[in-house]
Amino acid sequence: MTNAGIGRWSWMALVSGFIFLYVPIFILMFYSFNESRLVTVWAGFSIKWYGELFRDEQMMSAVWMSLKIAFLSASMAVVLGTMAAIAMVRFGRFRGKTMFTGMITAPLVMPEVITGLSLLLLFVTLSQALGWPAERGSVTIWIAHTTFCMAYVAVVVSSRLREFDRSLEEAAMDLGASRLGVFFRITLPIVAPALLAGWLLAFTLSLDDLVIASFVSGPGSTTLPMVVFSSVRLGVSPKINALATLLVLAVSMATFIAWWYMRRQELIRQKEIQSAFNK
Amino acid sequence: MATEQSNSQIENKKLVQLEIKKLEKDFDGFKAVNNISLDIYQGEIFALLGASGCGKSTLLRLLAGFEMPTAGDILLNGQSLIGLSPHERPINMMFQSYALFPHMTVEQNIAFGLRYEHLSKVEITRKIDEVLNLVQMAQYAKRKPHQLSGGQQQRVALARSLAKEPKLLLLDEPMGALDKKLRTQMQLEIVDILESVEVTCVMVTHDQEEAMTMASRVGIMDAGVIRQIGQPIEVYEQPNCRMTAEFIGSVNIFEGTLSVDEPDHAQINCPDLPVPIHVAHGVVGSFGMQLAFALRPEKVRVDMEKPANAHNFARGVIEDIAYLGSHSIYHLRLPSGKKVLASVANSDRLVTGDDAPRLTWNDEVYLSWSEKSGVVLSA
Amino acid sequence: MTNPVRPAQFLKSFGRGLVSGIPYFWLLLFFVIPFVIVLKISFAESQIAQPPFTDLTSFADDMLTISLNLFNYIDLYEYDLYLDGYISSVKIAGISTILCLLIGYPIAYAIAKLPPHARNLALMLVILPSWTSFLIRIYAWIGLLKNNGLINNALLGLGLIDEPLVMLHTPIAVYIGIVYAYLPFMILPIYTNLVKHDHTLLEAASDLGATPAAAFFKVTLPLSVSGIVAGSMLVFIPSVGEFVIPELLGGPDTLMIGKLLWSEFFNARNWPGASAVAVVMLIMLIIPITIFQRYQAKDLEAIADD
Repeated sequence: MTNAGIGRWSWMALVSGFIFLYVPIFILMFYSFNESRLVTVWAGFSIKWYGELFRDEQMMSAVWMSLKIAFLSASMAVVLGTMAAIAMVRFGRFRGKTMFTGMITAPLVMPEVITGLSLLLLFVTLSQALGWPAERGSVTIWIAHTTFCMAYVAVVVSSRLREFDRSLEEAAMDLGASRLGVFFRITLPIVAPALLAGWLLAFTLSLDDLVIASFVSGPGSTTLPMVVFSSVRLGVSPKINALATLLVLAVSMATFIAWWYMRRQELIRQKEIQSAFNK
Repeated sequence: MATEQSNSQIENKKLVQLEIKKLEKDFDGFKAVNNISLDIYQGEIFALLGASGCGKSTLLRLLAGFEMPTAGDILLNGQSLIGLSPHERPINMMFQSYALFPHMTVEQNIAFGLRYEHLSKVEITRKIDEVLNLVQMAQYAKRKPHQLSGGQQQRVALARSLAKEPKLLLLDEPMGALDKKLRTQMQLEIVDILESVEVTCVMVTHDQEEAMTMASRVGIMDAGVIRQIGQPIEVYEQPNCRMTAEFIGSVNIFEGTLSVDEPDHAQINCPDLPVPIHVAHGVVGSFGMQLAFALRPEKVRVDMEKPANAHNFARGVIEDIAYLGSHSIYHLRLPSGKKVLASVANSDRLVTGDDAPRLTWNDEVYLSWSEKSGVVLSA
Repeated sequence: MTNPVRPAQFLKSFGRGLVSGIPYFWLLLFFVIPFVIVLKISFAESQIAQPPFTDLTSFADDMLTISLNLFNYIDLYEYDLYLDGYISSVKIAGISTILCLLIGYPIAYAIAKLPPHARNLALMLVILPSWTSFLIRIYAWIGLLKNNGLINNALLGLGLIDEPLVMLHTPIAVYIGIVYAYLPFMILPIYTNLVKHDHTLLEAASDLGATPAAAFFKVTLPLSVSGIVAGSMLVFIPSVGEFVIPELLGGPDTLMIGKLLWSEFFNARNWPGASAVAVVMLIMLIIPITIFQRYQAKDLEAIADD
């Protein structure tokens, strides 16, 4: 759908939509530089809350724990989600396909309390029956996060796979590559951007999860959202504002670098195409 | 031209390179390829021509190894290919979409297949240069596919499939992705390249002009079977059934019954025509049998005066005229209501305002043809 | 002639088996079986032990006894708290979904009308907040909605009100929170649908005499139904079970089933009770989840078939 003119109503919807989405975040960030403990009354500029944030050992160890789990969950989710996407898009009809597709997409909408509770009960049952997992902690959180993140990865990768021109693979096979060779030299390099996008999505989802982690974690494995939640429950604290500011800056910087890079590549590409035709 | 040259090659060698024997491919009970047997000679360009869904692409994919046949055999130089994967067959294919790897340069695309040939680096480089020179793309070696125009991409695709020196080259709708003007130019260029390397070719197309320009022999496919095989001139001038007559070019079909059948001539009574159809050869058939007479539009003469011959004419009214530049197509209606097409060359320059009498709408005319112009087919 | 089974053929089917088998097995173990266990434990009795529930089966005097305890479900029915909780969850999620649709559709529509390069930027700006932190975005509203928060301070300062409006810990705050958090999930599928529309359809409609408004309601809106359904399900289903938003923004009287499940589990330590709550919630959500999957599966299978 393209149209040269985007009407006045559309502009209003767009502008007010972005105001609604961003103003609360900007206010939050603004008050992280407040001298006062009260986040609603401005008492002068200060960065002391950032200092306090970094001195908060519980918070820092939770950050580390969350990053570690997010990294491992995202990596595992990319492996499993990609396999699932390949099975969904490439294998045509097979027995149990409907159930397979259902299992992949259901975690996208499943309320977190249900997923969390059910996984906890599974781990308890398993440890009773098999003695594993002996205790809940980062491993059980990793399993839980991998499970719901792989659904997102599968959706992202399968949409890329569906656009994939199959004749590229046939051409590679025709030129002498084996099935495995085709996968690693043709398919994987071409879908790599989707795998990266899936990994990043899974990473942020894992980093953000409170409810599921609360169910399946054990003593000694407190993730960042759990620390933030218990602190927020007690009331507003500028330290959380400081944390939020850092998080928002990190995410938007990463996003804008990625966006800028892709835009630049696109511009270079267009220039090259033009010069190819001008010759 | 190209066609005649390759015809003489076939006459000289006639070595069978590829044998297709009773090949069948079944998709859930649907026979996409139904008991096809076919020989392809060394060095020839063979075109499989048919409408979409006729099974020509499936046949090509069976040759490449992307599909496994339900029954039958494929022999290349006497050796069966059944059970061999695409990468194990000495056959290469040029894809309709070209299927150039977008993440590799032109050079890397061509090197891709050569790497599996166990060649030295020097030799790979030499081969790349050789094929790029062949298709005149040497200066674009470092480009990525998206930096090339459609015609250039096609040359690279051709170079890539020729680099491995295949025993058989498959072309899938080779001109399908090009616009019309470029097509005519590339058709001849590609034929020149293919003949210079003397590779055996099987191509698939739905475009009869393309098949007739490029191929030395054409196979007309329909519903999973090959209806007719022959040189372009044969399939056009001597169709062996109504399907091929109607598929290639346009044709007028008159249905009638056999009334006279002598060794040197025959006559057919057609209810649409005032006089019988007279043909200058015998028809081996029984008296009164149903026949179809196929007559190409360019073989129909249109005159204001009644022709002198006793057979092979009719009266008609001009219903429509399509002026196509080099010639015009007259849509004529016979008294019976039957519509006949006639193609008339515009050999005189037509100038607007010229008052010379010219055929125009609603004119009553006579159409006629010679006793050697048409083909008698079973109904 | 049939093909003999060659080693390559065997490896191929073995490889395919692994590629589909490993994620299948993982999801079976960590997604499907857990639901079966939840169902089982919802029929157990709570006890003070480790784990805090009884076994359904007991083996004594050569007799296998299976006791299904229905009290957890009877409790759900008898205590108004739960019944009200379910009803109010569906109500809150439903109203929030409609609000999301009313706010999200115009935004999605506007983005789809932007020129292509601006489209991607706008889309990214919509998604960006959801890449930060759910928790922190909800937290942001506490500072805004509090009695001495920014909105009240501003209104008091302008003299529009004399005493602070009570907004935090009310259902209104929960609506705001859900709409704020889930708006991108409504915008994305609608945008994806709208951007694929052929603009000439609207030109044809106006050529045939339709006003822009009529063209929108007769052409664009009906064609975007699948996007609307997908977006609505993406908002509605998780909202029904939402815990964080009612916990942080809602008051003690804002009943939501996710919150009840949480307190049943963590505060009362009644695992069978919590399981029964989950089972009933899941049964309620089966229809919306099936609708969602239909729309999702249509997409997926259309491609697999060609």
